[in-house]
Order: sequence, then structure tokens, then C-alpha cells
Amino acid sequence: MVTLPPLPAERHEIGIDVDVLFGAVPNRQLDASLDAVARQQESHGIRRGLLCSLRGALFDVCSGNDETRKATELQRRFAPVGTVDIRDALGAEDEISRLAESGVKIVRLFPPEQWAEPGSPGLAAIIDTAVGHDLVLLTSGDFSQFWRPFADKGARVCFLDVHAYRVADFVVTARREPGFVASTRMLVGPDSIERIAGEVGAHHLAYGSRAPMHDVMPSALRLRMAGLTKQEWRQVACGTASAWLGEEL
Amino acid sequence: MIIDVHAHAGPWFFATDVGAAELNLTLMDRYGIDRQIVSASEAVTYDMVSGNRWMAEVLVAHPRLLGYVVINPNDLAAGAEELEKYLPTGRFVGVKIHTTYPGQTLLSKAIQDTMALAAEAGLPVLVHTWDESVLGLVDVLERHPDLRVIAGHMGGPAWRTAVEAATRTDRLYLEPCCSITDAGRYRYALDRVPLPQMLFGTDSTLVDPAIALGVVMDAGLSEDEYEHVMWRNASRLFGIRTEQPA
Repeated sequence: MVTLPPLPAERHEIGIDVDVLFGAVPNRQLDASLDAVARQQESHGIRRGLLCSLRGALFDVCSGNDETRKATELQRRFAPVGTVDIRDALGAEDEISRLAESGVKIVRLFPPEQWAEPGSPGLAAIIDTAVGHDLVLLTSGDFSQFWRPFADKGARVCFLDVHAYRVADFVVTARREPGFVASTRMLVGPDSIERIAGEVGAHHLAYGSRAPMHDVMPSALRLRMAGLTKQEWRQVACGTASAWLGEEL
Repeated sequence: MIIDVHAHAGPWFFATDVGAAELNLTLMDRYGIDRQIVSASEAVTYDMVSGNRWMAEVLVAHPRLLGYVVINPNDLAAGAEELEKYLPTGRFVGVKIHTTYPGQTLLSKAIQDTMALAAEAGLPVLVHTWDESVLGLVDVLERHPDLRVIAGHMGGPAWRTAVEAATRTDRLYLEPCCSITDAGRYRYALDRVPLPQMLFGTDSTLVDPAIALGVVMDAGLSEDEYEHVMWRNASRLFGIRTEQPA
């Protein structure tokens, strides 16, 4: 079996995974049920997750967000992440208000999955509304394309698909956007995570796995082996997301 | 024992400091990788001749590394000269062909001719695969009975098609390195492709070996699967001598 070098005890548990989904996956034969996702997180040493419904992302926003709320009441290891459909920016205005009033702190956007381009007026309006409600945003999409609609708005946003090839684009943007954060999932180079931490600080990073759509061990192992200080590692593994939830690290 | 069949050495044009071949060894030590088959990033992306030359110098200095001769399919005559130059060294054990940088599609005549050249030389070919065209390798292999091909990245997003292809011929091999780590991708392949055709690759030093190792760990390999995937199959395919016979 694969033998790995010993890890510091404090790296065995990753505090918060910012990229967790559940529901049905129409393009895969995959168990993405709530229980399966919870088991997957637990078996990989991940304590908590920011959970969003695939139903909301792919089919129906309101029932999807309700499903997320119920799921997080059943599984306390997860914090709820709301979503809206970029293809219905009008409905999104009401849904964002409803989410904010119910205490949801984070909203996840799915531009590529919902066929939205970076220049979509609906996307821009949704971002403005979410920022107006002081919500944190999570978003998929190529960073080099999707940074623009979030820029110059004071947005707190985590880009979930920042690839190692886009490290330079992320760093030059994060230098002037204090709320921009990169998920570590696709920071797959031997120095991608370390380079961002060194250039703009570990508070611009958060751990994400994309469970259950992606294998969890690749991103978890990469983070556990990262060349970060103890303080930087805690920040990436938990601190950045804790701050979004208004919690002390 | 781990043999990594898909690795690189040298710098890349991204914001990453991975140019020194010593980093290959550092990462191999960190993750328990014993042997690594590498191609020069320069040869892959820019200049085949100077890249292969640098690679040959690196291989002399680092015995745990073995090499792929990179052949640019746009200049087959020069590629043949590269093989003549480097095969006698005994340090190059395969041919690497990329599609993106030479601007050739996987099933283009130029790439098929390059594969035929490698087959004549008796070398396995590692080729970059990233779409549904990976299925066409079945016909290519049928036309060249001595050819053995590794589908680099297991077809990338077209991994299900790569698996289908590997079930149709016993000379198409799969290795899993990919920054897109779709859940269960490697287990899906292990459950369908004959075990002797499954290999392990990392894309190091462009990609940290943690990613491919994580994929293998999540696939939940049996002891027998592990032994074959991680080194026995590669040892046989490339003729790499190991302490324990493959």
C-alpha cells in the first residue's frame, strides 16, 4: 500500500471543506446522498463542510435550498450554503433575500453549470445583490474568466476552480482584492499553494474537495503535505472559512 | 516499490519553480517513488532536440530517473535521429508524444507515423490523450502489431472512453495522472480493464505526486492490484529491472 511520510498530528484533521455538494448527479453513476457525503468526509478526516444542494444548482432553487437547510439540521457537521440560478436573476433577487433572512451566510454560484458567461448581466446583478446582503460567495468557473464580475465590489468570494496554471492570475488580482480566496482543490503544482500563501497570505486560501464529485484524498493529501507554517496551515484548513461563518478560529 | 511512468523534468512557463531535476528526486523521496520515467519539458513544449539533449545529461546524473525520447511528430526524420542518438545510452526506455504543442490531433497521420517509428524501435509510447479520440487508438494498435501505447491522463475528461478503448486491445495501457480528479475514475477503470494494462503516473513535477497517489488511495486497491499497478506492470512494459522479479 501507499506509505506516506509521517504527518504532524495537527494535520490529521482538516477543519472545514468549503466545496461540498449533495443530491443527484445526472451525468454520473455516483452516490451523492447526504449520508454518503458525510461518510466520505469523516473517512478522510474532514471535520465540517460547507454544503450545497445539487438540486438547487441543477433543477430548482427554492426546494434545493430548503433541502440544504434540512440536511444541515440532520447533519450538524455541515453548514448551509444557499444557491440561486443565474438564468433567473429576477427570481434570484427574492431568493437571496430569503436566504439572508433565514441566517444563511454563504451563497454558491454555478456559472459554467448554468451556461452563464462571465459577462452575463444576470450574474453581475446577483453578485451585487449578494454583496449588498453581506453574503460570502463561492463560485465555480475558470478564474481567469470569472474574476472580472466579482472585482471592484468589495466581494468576499472563493473561486473553487483556480487551477495551478492560473496561480499568477490569482495572485495579481488578490493583491488588490482582499476578499478573493482560492480553493486549494486544483492547486496541484508542487508549489501552487505555497506560492499563493507566500505572495498574498494564507487568508487568500481555503481547503475545498468538491466531494462527492471528485476524489477527496488528492486534495486532502496535497494540503496535508503542503509547505506551510503551522499558522498558515490552520488558516487554509479552517480559518478562512471560519471567518466567513463568523466563528473564532 | 513504485514506478512512475508519466513524469517530466525541467521548467514550465507557469508561475511555478520546478525547473531543477533535483526536485524530481525530492518529491520521489517524499512520496516513496523509486523510479520515474521522465520527459524534458523543453522537448515537449518547444525544442525536441535541445530538450532531449538536456534530458540525457540529467539521466547521467540521476540513475533513479529513466527517460522518454520526445519526438515532435512534425519532423519524423529528426525524430528518428533522436532515437538513434539516445537508444544506445540505455537510459531512455520509451517515446513521448504530445498533441497540443506540435499542433497535431491524436489520430493525425503524423502522430500515427511517429507511433509506428517507436514500434519499430521496440519502445512503448506515452501519448497525451484528452478527448474522445482516444478510442481511435484501438484501430491504430490493430494496424501496428508491435506497438504498445500508454494513454496519458487516461483520456482526461474522456476517461470512460479510454476505459472502453483499453478493453478492446491488450496493448493499450492507462495511467491516471490528471488535475481533474473525478470521483471513482480509477476504480471504474480497474473494474473493467485487465489489470496488466493499468499503470501509475503522476505528471510530476508539473503536478505534485500527492494528486495521483490520492487517486490511487481513494480507489481502494487490493494488494494484488497495488503490486501490479504501482510497479510490476511498468517493470514488464519498459523492461525495468527490479530487485523482485516482476
